[in-house]
Amino acid sequence: MGVATLTEFDPITLEISWSRLISIADEAATGLVRTAFSTIVRESNDYATVLMDRNGDSVSENTGGIASFSCILPRTTKTFLQRFPAETWQPGDCVITNDPWLATGHLPDFTAVSPIFYKGALVGFAGSISHSPDVGGALWSADCRELFEEGIRIPPSRLFRAGERQEQLVEILTANVRIPGPVMGDLEAQVVANEVAVRRVQEFLDDTGLPDLQGLSEALQERADRALRRAISEVPDGTYTATLEADGFDEAITRIVCTITVDGDSMVIDYAGTSPQVDRGINCVLNYTDAYSVYPIKCALDPFTPRNEGSYRAIRVTAPEGSILNPRFPAPCSARQLTGHLLAGVIYEALAPVLPDKVIAECGGAPTMRALFSGLNRDGDRFSQVLFASGGMGAAPHRDGLPTTAFPTNVGAGSIEAYESVAPLLVWHKQLRADSGGAGRFRGGLGQEAEIEVRTDAPVRLSLLSDRRDHPAKGLLGGLPGAPAVIEFDDGTRPHPKSRTGVKPGQRVKLLYPGGGGFGDPKARDRQAVLDDLADGYITAEAAARDYGVK
Amino acid sequence: MAAQATARIGVDVGGTFTDFVLHDPVRDLVATGKRLTTPDDPSEAIIAGTERLLQETGLSPADLHSIVHGTTLVTNTIIERTGATVGLFTTQGFRDQIEIGRETRYDLYDLFLEPAPTLVPRRRRLEIPERMDVHGTVLRPLDEAAVRVAAKRLVEDEGIEALAIAFMHAYLDGRHEVRTAEIVAEMYPDLPISLSSRVAPEIREFERTSTACANAYVQPLMRRYLAKLENSLKSMGVAGNLYVMLSGGGIASVQDAKEFPIRLIESGPAAGAMAASYLARQAGLDHVVSFDMGGTTAKMCLVENGAPDRKFDFEAGRVRRFQKGSGLPLKVSVVDMIEIGAGGGSIARVDEASGLMKVGPRSAGAKPGPICYGRGGTEPTVTDSDLVLGRLDPAYFLGGEMALDLAAVKTAVAGRLAPALGVDEDAAALGIRRIVDETMAAATRMHLAEKGRDPRRYTLIAFGGAGPVHAYDLARLLKMGRMVVPLGAGVASALGFLVAPPATDLVRSHVGRLERLDWAHVGRLLAEMAKEGRALLLQAGAKPEDIVAKPAADMRYVGQGFEIPVPLPSLAPGEADLPGIREAFRASYTERFGRALDELPIEALTWRIACSAPGRDIHLSGVANVKTEAFADAARARRGTRQVMFEGVGWQDCAVYDRYALAPGARFEGPALIEERESTCVIGPGATAEVDGFRNLVVTLP
Repeated sequence: MGVATLTEFDPITLEISWSRLISIADEAATGLVRTAFSTIVRESNDYATVLMDRNGDSVSENTGGIASFSCILPRTTKTFLQRFPAETWQPGDCVITNDPWLATGHLPDFTAVSPIFYKGALVGFAGSISHSPDVGGALWSADCRELFEEGIRIPPSRLFRAGERQEQLVEILTANVRIPGPVMGDLEAQVVANEVAVRRVQEFLDDTGLPDLQGLSEALQERADRALRRAISEVPDGTYTATLEADGFDEAITRIVCTITVDGDSMVIDYAGTSPQVDRGINCVLNYTDAYSVYPIKCALDPFTPRNEGSYRAIRVTAPEGSILNPRFPAPCSARQLTGHLLAGVIYEALAPVLPDKVIAECGGAPTMRALFSGLNRDGDRFSQVLFASGGMGAAPHRDGLPTTAFPTNVGAGSIEAYESVAPLLVWHKQLRADSGGAGRFRGGLGQEAEIEVRTDAPVRLSLLSDRRDHPAKGLLGGLPGAPAVIEFDDGTRPHPKSRTGVKPGQRVKLLYPGGGGFGDPKARDRQAVLDDLADGYITAEAAARDYGVK
Repeated sequence: MAAQATARIGVDVGGTFTDFVLHDPVRDLVATGKRLTTPDDPSEAIIAGTERLLQETGLSPADLHSIVHGTTLVTNTIIERTGATVGLFTTQGFRDQIEIGRETRYDLYDLFLEPAPTLVPRRRRLEIPERMDVHGTVLRPLDEAAVRVAAKRLVEDEGIEALAIAFMHAYLDGRHEVRTAEIVAEMYPDLPISLSSRVAPEIREFERTSTACANAYVQPLMRRYLAKLENSLKSMGVAGNLYVMLSGGGIASVQDAKEFPIRLIESGPAAGAMAASYLARQAGLDHVVSFDMGGTTAKMCLVENGAPDRKFDFEAGRVRRFQKGSGLPLKVSVVDMIEIGAGGGSIARVDEASGLMKVGPRSAGAKPGPICYGRGGTEPTVTDSDLVLGRLDPAYFLGGEMALDLAAVKTAVAGRLAPALGVDEDAAALGIRRIVDETMAAATRMHLAEKGRDPRRYTLIAFGGAGPVHAYDLARLLKMGRMVVPLGAGVASALGFLVAPPATDLVRSHVGRLERLDWAHVGRLLAEMAKEGRALLLQAGAKPEDIVAKPAADMRYVGQGFEIPVPLPSLAPGEADLPGIREAFRASYTERFGRALDELPIEALTWRIACSAPGRDIHLSGVANVKTEAFADAARARRGTRQVMFEGVGWQDCAVYDRYALAPGARFEGPALIEERESTCVIGPGATAEVDGFRNLVVTLP
């Protein structure tokens, strides 16, 4: 027992240590979310907290948040280490950046990393990512032509040096954003979250008697790596491909070609043949491409093993430089999720022939569809509100897709009553959209529709970030596609789905969120399930007859 | 007759057993009882058990002052989906809100996760043309003709047994809901109707609607059940009142329970927290963590200044019991406790993918139970590990009524678990204990951290069958200096029914920035709630002069989405109180999050009143009705010596004491085992223990 056991890292001690390190990351995340001014952090879970060893390798990650962000944070930390070598860090430092290429792919996300010192030595790092309430520039939009229009870019810089806030940086940042209070409030919440993690790791080392995290980190990485490799080895060796198209921007349709090569216990995901980068904000930097490729694989193959650096070793992701999945600086990338969220669908389509029981059809909620309203309310206060709502999830091999649930991201919906209390907007309805789930032996999840009226005296700005107008979520193995996205004003006109436009007082906007794709042949669907769907109004009589042959 | 009616009975109807505790301060009587629950009609077991208890104590039904009742019926009805056929009326355009819900996946990695339940299927959710805005202005009048058509369809075509009504912004102004209910009641006078503006008048339509639906779902059953119980007690000759335990730890009248049965959702667990609060008050402890560990779960709760922490939302009927987000959100006042899947029956296994050992949340339950019960269990559990490590006496489990099979456990640990882990059998058995204790410690740390609390300042009060067995290690891991274990720890939670105060929580929403609030309106809301609270407490047996109303508001910085409770200075706050209210917000915020933000505006969303009268202090030395001679000299209570394995130390000779033979003033040192019928308390080397004047075991950790 005792110290001897700890250094050997038996499966009991490892379990205890890992759980404790995960709960430290979770504790750091809790304060971050609860104090967040960014609705995107709160409702869209756009945050992550990670503990890293002194090499910047992830040891444990928080359990909520954006799963894929956690695998980017260690990379960003490693670039910090290049810029600020290990020996230059001091207790109380915090380095931040929002550089899309170094971090999570667009300017609104800030990464903040603080060193963990124990008994005078640097033993690791605590990091957090949070979507800022504002980064200046063109609000959150998809139609900028260059990165520079999208906001302020902070290269890796010390926000704190030995506990002292670097006012020059703060001044530069606050001079470039619309709401400096909440922006700094959220950044400082990240620093506080890191400090919580730093303190807890120090207590953990005290309790365990370990001198640092290195030995433990290696042992935990080995376990995570082993678990994923074990799962990959069960996939038959071979090369699997699929191609997907999405709306892209105007005539530049996005085409994603995915080739997955499974060789023993490792996997390469390559995107050769994918569309070139475009001069609009839907380019997806390689970090983001990588994160959103690894995540769906983990979900399908090894969902229950906790993650750390080892979870990402067995999979290599490559995309041609200059493509929409690996654009060159300074490509605009503010709405990179419109491209990155599509990857899960194409990966699952490629793997469906060999893993038909482990994948789902394409999701209507991928990519997310966002409508951002901003302007002044009648009291003269500025408001900026995203309506959070999701399309339907793709059908699974053994049951219908979940309605109004996002995948691969995990976006919550706020309360409409609360939404109406903070912005001069009225939602006349928000309800399931009949017939939007792709038909199949198992039906795609339903999307939803919402109608919003502007109720203030001045016009309001509406920024739209959406896809799937022309390319609905595909079905899998015989399943039919879900319904496409529709955005429409009450006069019947349809705005550009990736644009910034004005909405007049009293005008209404209708948003129809896409449904998920179906799984398997609709004719094989259980007749009673069709009748139940009909009774509950999930499908219309017309669709029952047309898609399922049930009258 | 009236002068004699001094006996009180607490009854806890659980899934398996119905527990009783009787206390009569005048006659100086304490008695406990236990019967199998009668699921088809739980009042049968209550009546039979009450009769038996009266018989044993020589009392008559007329001697009963009151019966306080807690039940898992509400929670089980939701878990087992055995409630009423419910219909729902919503504002036009919003009938799907309970199905759309929060739109999140509660497990990020599970592609096939089961969705959280929906109590009312879409075909029974009808929309009524009507709409109010966020200021309570009617944008669309109520279509009364549509109400009639919809009611007829739900009752006559769909056969609903209860109706929920939840309109947009009804927390501000419930008049459309009230009018709708009037129309439906004219048509169908016996149909139970739950209004969201009455059940949970709080902003956020999904949670409010979900609460109204859940109330409707359990209402027909609870009405029948409570009426039947009242009648049976009456025909038995009981003149005293019947009260129920609310989820927030207060007691309420049966009338209140029939109208808002959903408030009984955590009725049973609340009793444990109330018992711990009573013990804390008795021992003069202001900073306590209550720890109740049973067969399948462990519950931890913060108890400060003699009262448990409460919160105003809860998740019921989870698809995955311990997974946040997998259940129905309810806006009800509950004791704020964390419940995790760590109990005596929690099963240890080796995870195939990672090769690491896991303990729980799966439990062997009562059947097949741990291996040592010899009832067919084959997987090692926490209780099995406690037995192998010497913490439990195979011959003195349940006071010797049940022999434990140590050999079978050893075979299983040595034969399967230890080899799979690549460690020896002692390490494997100790590993089970280490993991379960670390899991509980992590959950407790997190729970306290969310409230800005440091466990080191707290005392652990442990009870439940497995609580005293694991309390020492939990306290040690949390770096607590002290733990307290009451006499009769295995059955102590039933005490909660007898010490709980009449109490109720009221709520209204009114959203605004502090500097722009309509304080006259706030004053009206608070006065209205205080009045309503008083009336409920009078019904629950409180004296008018004892009733205290504490106002508070949920606030946040403008732009945030998470509110924190802030106490208000009076029932009629105004502009002049603003600096004080801001300061109180800053203080609460700083306590939780370690900093405050000076320059940002603050808004309030929800206003609350906590109404309560003092609880009863009962004077008894535990609820164990065992007559054993007790000694202040611990040596005379010593029963023998047993070998126990302690982490980092190995096998140790450990003194074994008879809990019932330890009198106030008895002192001894660890390592030691203190055995009573339903539990064993373990204390480690270097600790000292002393029995206090209430016969609590007070352990000081090294």
